[in-house]
Amino acid sequence: MKPSLIGRLFLFVGVVVLIFVCMFPFLWMALSSIKPVGELYRVPPSWLPEHATLANFWNVLFESNIPRYFLNSTVISLGSTGVALLLAIFASYGLARFRFRGKGLAQAFILLGQLLPTAAIIVPLFVTLRILGLVNSYLGLILVYTIITLPLSVWMLTSYFRAIPVELEEAAIIDGATRLGILFRITLPLSAPGLVAIVVYAFVTTWNEFLFALVLAQDYRVKTLPIGIAEFTTEFNTDWGSVMAASLIMTVPIAVLFMAMQKMFVGGLTAGAVKG
Amino acid sequence: MASMEIKDVRKSFGTVEVVHGVSVSISDGEFVVLVGPSGCGKSTLLRMIAGLEEISGGEISIDGTVVNQLRPKDRDIAMVFQNYALYPHMNVAKNMGFSLKLRGERKEVIDQKVKEAAAILGLTPYLDRFPRQLSGGQRQRVAMGRSIVRNPRVFLFDEPLSNLDAKLRVQMRTEIKDLHLRLKTTIIYVTHDQIEAMTMADKIVVLRDGVVEQIGRPLDLYDTPANIFVAGFIGSPSMNILQGEIVETPAGPAFGLTPEVSLPLPAVAADLKAGRKVHYGIRPEHFVLSDSGLRAEVVLTEPTGSETQVFMRVGDHDLLGVFRERVAAARGDTIGVTFQPNTMHLFDSESGKRL
Repeated sequence: MKPSLIGRLFLFVGVVVLIFVCMFPFLWMALSSIKPVGELYRVPPSWLPEHATLANFWNVLFESNIPRYFLNSTVISLGSTGVALLLAIFASYGLARFRFRGKGLAQAFILLGQLLPTAAIIVPLFVTLRILGLVNSYLGLILVYTIITLPLSVWMLTSYFRAIPVELEEAAIIDGATRLGILFRITLPLSAPGLVAIVVYAFVTTWNEFLFALVLAQDYRVKTLPIGIAEFTTEFNTDWGSVMAASLIMTVPIAVLFMAMQKMFVGGLTAGAVKG
Repeated sequence: MASMEIKDVRKSFGTVEVVHGVSVSISDGEFVVLVGPSGCGKSTLLRMIAGLEEISGGEISIDGTVVNQLRPKDRDIAMVFQNYALYPHMNVAKNMGFSLKLRGERKEVIDQKVKEAAAILGLTPYLDRFPRQLSGGQRQRVAMGRSIVRNPRVFLFDEPLSNLDAKLRVQMRTEIKDLHLRLKTTIIYVTHDQIEAMTMADKIVVLRDGVVEQIGRPLDLYDTPANIFVAGFIGSPSMNILQGEIVETPAGPAFGLTPEVSLPLPAVAADLKAGRKVHYGIRPEHFVLSDSGLRAEVVLTEPTGSETQVFMRVGDHDLLGVFRERVAAARGDTIGVTFQPNTMHLFDSESGKRL
């Protein structure tokens, strides 16, 4: 039944308020990025830019290290997302479908990994990477980021695999598929929403990660965007205009990722496979 | 097409044994039905034949080769599942061709075989559709098509009609039987519905609690059930089974129905001693209305149109009779019933076995 006019009005107003609250930081950031630095300090603040300028973007793109940091972030985030995805697929399938000794212990340890506070493990990790010669390298950061995204990825994917009816895999076994064949031909195609969830989660986590990058990346060759943005704060002041412009640049890939993937969050792929 | 030998097969889950030494011989091209109540081990046995469950003891051989250690795909069998198990992300043609694709067959060969199987099952107009776009009966046919395409030695069916409505079930039953007559492949079919068993099987294996109760042709199981369980399981409505003992009468030993009434015994029971505890069985459809017969009080009549089911009472015993004619009796009335002497069954009360 349709809600009354008053009800719909309230709903409409509520939705508008919610959207505004969520979008405000992003909008403010976008507007600030085209304001000259002087205007940013104005009190009371100006909403729309009076003297719109692209100087901040010029500074960020051509006179700072941000482009290089963008490349670093992209390589490291894609790399760690890829590695985490690969490992999670195999680990989750094993946990979802097989019985083996030590399974409970393995699951407990994976959960433990998720609970580790970053500050507690950062020093041991640094020492380990130094011994391996991986400090200040792409590989080092990729491995570390895999560690922090893997536990939740495995957890999510295991429950997703479990939700796929076993009969489908049994039918495939009888049709002659190997376990690996089943994984790639049956289970993965039907887990697309789960895989998308992991990719998005892992990418966003690693893209925004600050503390590990701060410690483990030491020069422009490896530093990531969050570090780059922090570098606009020098000893005496912060170049807020550049911060805003760089932040906008940093947000663009995430926005694109979400908009591209949002349809894939829909379930219902297994409808019609089994009765009931 | 293949013969199968199931020898003393056992299955344990941990320390719990659920299948206790089942042995069945199956000839080439036979339609064998494994039937029994829920939990009797029929599905477990089927899965052991398929290779989806490990065999804890005994051996299964197909065409003389022991298959205990062979993987499902090497046993050359195909299985139709209770809830179809169709691959939802593939259309009907791809579902049916999947096993051939895994085997590495050429595209033209796959297309050809899929087309043939689709024609047999009437699925040709649906080859491009996805499972979610099909009805229950169509999905079940696709599941069968998936099996036919492989041309296996043995077809396995795991309660395939349980999820269909009554009318569709009857239709699919005929289709499956027709398919069997056309393809002449050995079929092993699991169901809990004894009507399916009776109408489709060449040979029925009745299972209860992991043990074979009787193996035989449908009509043999109907005419001469080996024990009380089979007698009550096969036949719908179920056989009337009355508990009592042998009594001495001037005419010889008889079954004491009530202190006043005794029923005749079959010939084999001629030398049974009085006092022996027995179970007496008479099928509802073997009762005949007769003025000179047993007096029974009518409790309830249920006319179904083609026949009338009458719930009766004689002394302490509740009986069910099924008559082809219309029975114009109301609750409380008394009718006379009798039955042919060779339609009764006698079982030993202690062992349950047929006497």
